[in-house]
Amino acid sequence: MTHKTIKATVNGEVYERTIPVCMTLAEFLREELGLTGTKIGCNEGECGACTVIISGKPMNSCLVLAVEADGAEVLTIEGVSQGEKLHPLQQAFLDAGAIQCGFCTPGMVLTAKALIEENPNPTEAEVRKGIEGNICRCTGYNRIIDAIMNEAERVRGDK
Amino acid sequence: MLPAFELLTPTTIAEACKMKLETKGKLLAGGTDILVGMHGGKERYETLIDLKGIEELKGFDTKDGLDFGALTPHREFEQSALIKERYTALYEGCSQVGSSQIRIRGTVGGNICNAAPSADSIGPLLVFGATCVIAGADGRREVPLSEFFTGPKKTVLGESELLERVLVPSPVNGSGSAYTKYTRRRAMDLALLGVSCYVVLDAKGKIEVARIALTTAAPTPIRATNAEEFLVGKTLDDAVLGEISELVAKQAKPRSSWRSSAEFRIELVKELTVRTLRLAEERAKGEA
Repeated sequence: MTHKTIKATVNGEVYERTIPVCMTLAEFLREELGLTGTKIGCNEGECGACTVIISGKPMNSCLVLAVEADGAEVLTIEGVSQGEKLHPLQQAFLDAGAIQCGFCTPGMVLTAKALIEENPNPTEAEVRKGIEGNICRCTGYNRIIDAIMNEAERVRGDK
Repeated sequence: MLPAFELLTPTTIAEACKMKLETKGKLLAGGTDILVGMHGGKERYETLIDLKGIEELKGFDTKDGLDFGALTPHREFEQSALIKERYTALYEGCSQVGSSQIRIRGTVGGNICNAAPSADSIGPLLVFGATCVIAGADGRREVPLSEFFTGPKKTVLGESELLERVLVPSPVNGSGSAYTKYTRRRAMDLALLGVSCYVVLDAKGKIEVARIALTTAAPTPIRATNAEEFLVGKTLDDAVLGEISELVAKQAKPRSSWRSSAEFRIELVKELTVRTLRLAEERAKGEA
């Protein structure tokens, strides 16, 4: 096959589209659905800017074929907040000053969200390891790590 | 958009073998090598055969040694307490591949079939004595992992064949293993050099079995058999380790690349083999 009709759930909404099999999920999200919060940086799995959560797991959407989203649940940065109301993790990024140019932020937030859901009690070393696939070229890593540690603390109910 | 291709999605091994034979298509697992190569048009394939719909290729069990399906992602080994404890070098290899996103997608079977000289999972599997179960249109055959690679990016897989499972014998009591990956930066980098060791100590602390694998030290991952034989019956004192570093250096045939010169890789082979052997020995004694 060279084209396929898929039914994908993105941020809780079901989309049905006929697409070429050579389209990546990152392209599908941005160009078919207009969800441009997902960024394409390197387009080869190095930078993590295109990270989305597919059926609970963070993946580089530039290395996923869009047809693989058939029947899957995809969460992009647009589905993390509730409209204008930021997710606490996003607020934690703002509060810690973890955003500079913002290009890495959507991928960073999604990777961090999956990380905290899997391990709400990470050490700083685990957070650093957890975001190794998300490059911030402004190099604002320390504040990003602070934001993730703060949010994990909040999730645990320590504060 | 990736360079155009036709996508086939088999659901059984037999179907996949038939498709590979008929189309000469490229087998696709996690896509963390293949799709990377296709972006920007560096690689093109007329047909991709996505194996991810084949349930028989998934999952692993540890009842009698380790028996894992080729589609097992690196992440599953990274997160298994049993793999970390018993197959420590394999845990260390799999947990250092790419990033968490890559380890969630990328499969160990794919890492093997991609046959890169630097693959992080291959050295550890070599020292544990892994065997590949290969399925093809004419049935199954088993090939030791040490004979699976025929050159850089080349394997023994025939026209209809795919890697189905990998069988890894259980490490014996009194054994220890370790993998050292040398990179220029701590994350998202290929091994400039990789050393894997597995040692079994006897009651007196002498080496009964030693296995050493080197990655990025030759066109394919290799075993340093000279050094392995020399080690039997010895203890790891400075004189023995000095001999070992000379022996492994003789078996390594590294090339110069933009990551490193061959000369530097040889120095790394010497030093990292010593360190990795020591760590494996400490683990065998239950000290690390």
